[in-house]
Amino acid sequence: MRVGLVCPYTWDVPGGVQAHVRDLAECLIEMGHQVSVLAPVDEADEADLPAYLVPAGRTVPVPYNGSVARLCFGPVSLTRTRRWLRKGRFDVLHLHEPTVPSLSMLACFAARGSMVATFHTATARSRALQVFGTTLQPGLEKITGRIAVSPAARRVVVEHLGHDAVLVPNGVYVDRFAGAPPLDGLPAGPRLVFLGRIDEPRKGLSVLLEALPAIAARVPDVQLLVAGPGDVDDVRDDVDPRVTDRVHLLGLVSEADKPRVYASGDLYVAPNTHGESFGIVLIEAMATGTPVVASDLPAFRRVLDDGEAGALFPVGDAEALAASVVALLLDGERRRQLSVAASRVVQAYDWHHVARQVVEVYETVAAAAPVELDETADEPDVEDFGQEDDPGRVSEALRRWLAVVRERVAP
Amino acid sequence: MTGDVALAVAIVVLVALYVTWTAGRLDRMHARVDAAWAGLDAQLVRRAAAARSLLPHLPPGAEAAAVDERAIAALAAGEHGREAVENALTRALRAAVGRLPRTPAAEVALTELDAASTRVGLARSFHNSAVTDTRALRRRRLPRLLRLAGHRAMPSFFDVDDTAILPPW
Repeated sequence: MRVGLVCPYTWDVPGGVQAHVRDLAECLIEMGHQVSVLAPVDEADEADLPAYLVPAGRTVPVPYNGSVARLCFGPVSLTRTRRWLRKGRFDVLHLHEPTVPSLSMLACFAARGSMVATFHTATARSRALQVFGTTLQPGLEKITGRIAVSPAARRVVVEHLGHDAVLVPNGVYVDRFAGAPPLDGLPAGPRLVFLGRIDEPRKGLSVLLEALPAIAARVPDVQLLVAGPGDVDDVRDDVDPRVTDRVHLLGLVSEADKPRVYASGDLYVAPNTHGESFGIVLIEAMATGTPVVASDLPAFRRVLDDGEAGALFPVGDAEALAASVVALLLDGERRRQLSVAASRVVQAYDWHHVARQVVEVYETVAAAAPVELDETADEPDVEDFGQEDDPGRVSEALRRWLAVVRERVAP
Repeated sequence: MTGDVALAVAIVVLVALYVTWTAGRLDRMHARVDAAWAGLDAQLVRRAAAARSLLPHLPPGAEAAAVDERAIAALAAGEHGREAVENALTRALRAAVGRLPRTPAAEVALTELDAASTRVGLARSFHNSAVTDTRALRRRRLPRLLRLAGHRAMPSFFDVDDTAILPPW
């Protein structure tokens, strides 16, 4: 099957949707499908990009959904999208987050035929949905099959877009995480791990930092490993001076090192405050066997099987977080129980299982027409220049233009 | 005076554009319903075929005969009365799987039936979602007043019991 995937967020910045698209693409390729991914690319060298990726241009930073989203739109992106659709001749077009005013929405407007959309966000009060929900409804009507990654995400689709969606969870390559060795040169003592953007308030690092002195008071040799992109200095300012030497900032870790980061912890802490639709980080941590302590968000509660496969504490409550972490650090038997329960839960989220469910949706939808350009929304392609990453093309276009002008002026 | 004429012309043009756009939108929606129905039909046929492939594994008797008869009826059915035919097949299958021996060959046939049933569920959900969209637009005042849907019949929902058919083992 020829599948075209569209990712609305910058490929070279780590994020849940990007990782989902990448893993799904790779799993589909492994299953023998032909896959092409269209995504915005900001910094990365073309050489560093995987063979299945087609860059759609740069992004613009926009505050969205409680954090900064880098979105991609405009005539150049539209032209590249149309070119990609024309070349791809896909059986199925799979859009991710088409309600976000970015690449997926562009592709939805530009194409027609068998279209599947996956909805990731569970934030009911998302500003974009409120603003665009009704206005852009006609554009999204073309989508044939809708997938939601969680019951919360499905509720957003039903309540705000008036559609039904089938439930297919996010996936994790369980075997890449299981049995990963810890990092080298780790500080001695019980270790807590946090992984996520450190400058994004909804990831809740500040809640964990607030709880740290109380944890250190009960477990004096506790260490905190913080991994993820963001401004390290801002975080250093947030740390209580009494525990500065316990906080180890690892910065952005590579995909390859991620399992090792989880495996380095005696506990994985997910203090997210809101905006989390799914909790893929929890499943990754659980797949390595590291027990999890997480805030009691509906998505986390679901993944943690109502607390059977990991401990929950009230959202944003640093005191409760400290109490929960201390209790678990002092109880090795309980940690082992959670770890065993977790490794059972994660099987349902293994990509090989999840991708099969996605393909079932593709096969159901692809009984309709293949994907083509929507000619009713036709407009001429703009000349693809003006991208700073392409100085050769710009000068080439200018030279051509000069040649035309010269011809007209001098007969 | 010219200002009034210009305004009137502008309004007429805008209304005309809106009507054309809505008509096109309605047309696309009907196409989506047709495509979704085609998909659903394909999955229902696949399910009926899967039901028949269970037959060699079923001990002869009333259950097997019922599955055979209803699967053939489902394969022959058109759009009209399809729901009743499919539900009858589901009931026959439910009654029959209890008599299925647990052999590798029977399990393979049952897996295929299960895969087909899952896809019927998906296709039904997508079809009904297309129907919802189309009906919502057709019920609006403008499409009704101008009969933008033409002679096309109001699409109807398709409701059958497509929950999993599982053997007792």
